Amino acid sequence: MDTGEAIADHVGVPTVVLFPTCLGDVVARQTVTDAELVLVRLGFDVRQARGATCCGQPAFNSGHDGPARAVARATLRALDDGTDDPILVPSGSCASMVRLHWREVFHKTDDADGALRIAKRVRELSSFLAEQSATIASLQPQLTARVGYHDSCHMLRELRIKEAPRDVLRAINGIELIELPSAERCCGFGGTFSGRYPEVSVAMADSKIQDMVDARIDLLVSADPGCLLQLGGRMSREGSPVRTLHLASVLAEALA
Amino acid sequence: MTDRATFLAAVRSTPRGDDPGQPDRLHAPDAPTELRDGEDRFDRLLHECALNSTVVHRVPEDSVAATILAILDEADAQSVALTEDLGARRQALTDACAAAGRDAAAYADVAPNRARAGALDATITGCAAAVAATGSIITSAAGAGRAGALIAPTHICVVDRDQVVTGLHELFDGSVLADVGSLLALQSGPSRSADIEKVLILGVHGPGNVHLVLVDG
Amino acid sequence: MSVREDIGGSPLPDGWAAPAHQPGAFELPTTTFEERAHRTMARPFARRAIAGATDHAVSLTQARFADVDHETLRDQGRQIRAHAIANLPDYLEQWIANAEQNGTTVYFAADEGEARRIIAGICVDENIASVVKSKSMASEEVALNSALEGVGVDVVETDLGEFVVQAMGDRPGHVIAPILHRTKDEVHELFSKMAGRDLPNEAEELTAFARAGLRHAFLTADGGITGGNFLIAETGEVMLVTNEGNGRLTSSVPRVHIALVGIEKVIPRRRDLAVLLPLLTGHGTGQQITTYVSITGGPRRDAEPDGPEQTHVVLLDAGRSALLGGEFEEALHCIRCGACQNVCPVYRQVGGHAYGWVYGGPIGAVLTPLFRGQAEGGEVAQATTLCGACDDICPVRIPLHDLLLGLRRQRDEQGEVPRREQMAFAVWGAVWSRPWLYRMTTAVGRGSLGLLARDGVVSSRVPGLRRWTDGRNLVLERRRR
Repeated sequence: MDTGEAIADHVGVPTVVLFPTCLGDVVARQTVTDAELVLVRLGFDVRQARGATCCGQPAFNSGHDGPARAVARATLRALDDGTDDPILVPSGSCASMVRLHWREVFHKTDDADGALRIAKRVRELSSFLAEQSATIASLQPQLTARVGYHDSCHMLRELRIKEAPRDVLRAINGIELIELPSAERCCGFGGTFSGRYPEVSVAMADSKIQDMVDARIDLLVSADPGCLLQLGGRMSREGSPVRTLHLASVLAEALA
Repeated sequence: MTDRATFLAAVRSTPRGDDPGQPDRLHAPDAPTELRDGEDRFDRLLHECALNSTVVHRVPEDSVAATILAILDEADAQSVALTEDLGARRQALTDACAAAGRDAAAYADVAPNRARAGALDATITGCAAAVAATGSIITSAAGAGRAGALIAPTHICVVDRDQVVTGLHELFDGSVLADVGSLLALQSGPSRSADIEKVLILGVHGPGNVHLVLVDG
Repeated sequence: MSVREDIGGSPLPDGWAAPAHQPGAFELPTTTFEERAHRTMARPFARRAIAGATDHAVSLTQARFADVDHETLRDQGRQIRAHAIANLPDYLEQWIANAEQNGTTVYFAADEGEARRIIAGICVDENIASVVKSKSMASEEVALNSALEGVGVDVVETDLGEFVVQAMGDRPGHVIAPILHRTKDEVHELFSKMAGRDLPNEAEELTAFARAGLRHAFLTADGGITGGNFLIAETGEVMLVTNEGNGRLTSSVPRVHIALVGIEKVIPRRRDLAVLLPLLTGHGTGQQITTYVSITGGPRRDAEPDGPEQTHVVLLDAGRSALLGGEFEEALHCIRCGACQNVCPVYRQVGGHAYGWVYGGPIGAVLTPLFRGQAEGGEVAQATTLCGACDDICPVRIPLHDLLLGLRRQRDEQGEVPRREQMAFAVWGAVWSRPWLYRMTTAVGRGSLGLLARDGVVSSRVPGLRRWTDGRNLVLERRRR
């Protein structure tokens, strides 16, 4: 991280907390590293959320509130560090879980207040980055690609974040952003759904992949590691030449 | 069998959910079934009828009979029934049809014999109203019978200028519909189906030809 | 059946045969969602047709409301439905009183069996040997046709699509478009067999064939059975929409009209239709209004030229009143437009049959466990990705996503979750609620996946991940630098 030193001396740089989420800890490590790299380049002091595990969504969405609460509580207590620093989540779905559903999860528990505190601090990464568009543009990011963006369902329909990730992509020189006709249609991941109903889940991915082929994109971008796991996994199996990248990684490449 | 009291007790036994209250709507909703601000109702009626495949004939009073006879000719309609809601025009139109060699009868006389009704080539009706925003003809059981507007392959409806209302809000909200009897019927163009591979077919169970004779001037 | 001389105009087509029976039992208890979904997905035409038709319907719906304040209209629709359901007992009584005033006989069916017995009883009492039927989901709920055939009543479905479904011994594949999943060739083969000759394989000719036979059925039937889209409390009327005109003929031409309607269909006033009707048709077919809207209020009156001598309305509870005032009450707001199916990415792949009972798509995934119980119907509530597209399109803003989550929770509470899943989540919860165990297991997971991966890709069928890696690779993000 060559840029880290340049700002290391700064006093009073804004601090942000990065919550990797379980996908970030298991399969999407590079996304987390890239998110950190990008944030540092943008002048933030980045702190990894120590002790945070998972937001509890897999259990919550399957109707198992007990396990969901137990896991989410560990994460909540780790994130509730007494500061007001924004907590950035490189996953639209997890951000939505914390912002909108934790209130329900911790309703009438000792952690209800904490859940509210954290919900207020949590930001989906790309919406945070979009606010830094001017700074991003000043760094002259460059990446030549024909790009399609896939909306994460929870990010789009629960957090109502649609333009932010596209704005970030538009700030990168050389990117031609293609609006895919099925951009807003679910990729078929759905957390445990992808394992419960693999045939349906894969067919849902295929219907979107066909659109990408038709649009002749060479890079598919999303802001949700779950969707990328699903779409990237299917394209990898089918030998598709389309690359899949998280928005943070796109920006990291463009700034490299 | 469950009696009324037991049945209703089951419905009443539960706690009530949140009631947002009766919507108070003095104004027409902003819906596809209403006119836009400043839109002319006759322009819209013609536009919507073109979209739903209703053929509109905008004619003065003294051309109504000739217009209808031309439609019957074109449809090659021999047996014709005329309904009560034609009012004062009914007798004159019946006579005109008969004079032109058509087998014309009052719908009330034909309807009791289902076989005869089912064999009609055309029905000629009046209406209770017409709705501009939806291109609809509104009939009542008292006026056109329950099946008068759709039993035959061709339906001809005579509409007076002042019967045209703006949209569904005016139709249902105002005093347009007095005593309609056992059926209040809206029809908007020919009978249609797209069940087989989404191919649109007109004239499935109801008429394939619908003519609106708008008496104007 | 032969040509009846007393019926003019529409003799039966040559070779017209009585339609086959519909299957008597639903598959819900005997098969899984996955198995049922697979059957539709194995038919390329059905998949293409369902995807194409649902996409088309969604675009029509969006275009229909593009120029108006759709959100406010949906708010108004929601308010009318919520108000009606919150005051259901009062509006229901008001409707009953007015319907009886109109001369309608009202019946009360607490469950499906009772609905079947009531309607069969009316047929027996009124010497009804043949009925024409207009598409009704409520009658599908109670499996009415087989019950009527059981007491010797000939039943003919008159909606073109439903007629095909009935003759094939199939089930409707969509609330609005029953033969969405069938090809023209399949209809051609069926009708040619019925006709005893090779009919022209064109939609128009095939429709004409059905029309001729169905016209005969309308003119000879003793009774007509319909559902109802709304019950209007202030007038005691039943509203019914169709495009073909079969609903109007069914409720007008035969001597007796019987309507089977769920109690939740009550709305306060006729004028509420100015909001609900465009929402229903615009979200159902994308139409501004359906070709026929019939608002019936009892039997033929003295001065009227035609109409049934008797009208009977059977009010169906069958699980509805139990939802009032509870967590799932909003499911009763549904106006059965089918928009949530059209927009559902899962339905788009699997069609209606996968849901195993009457209703498919998101509302099916909600109503099936509610009406059939968690033991039988709980699984289908799992069969969605919770993507929320249904919430965004529902004309009366039913929070389907929340209802689905609630049903998943209820399934857990009622102990209907398979033991393996229960155990898995218990272990997961115990381990990942401890940060040190979390760090250990994610490190082990990363390490094992790393060992299994070749070039950063796990494609082998790893124990525990077999179902996942059957059609997909697990791609591990690797350090670039």
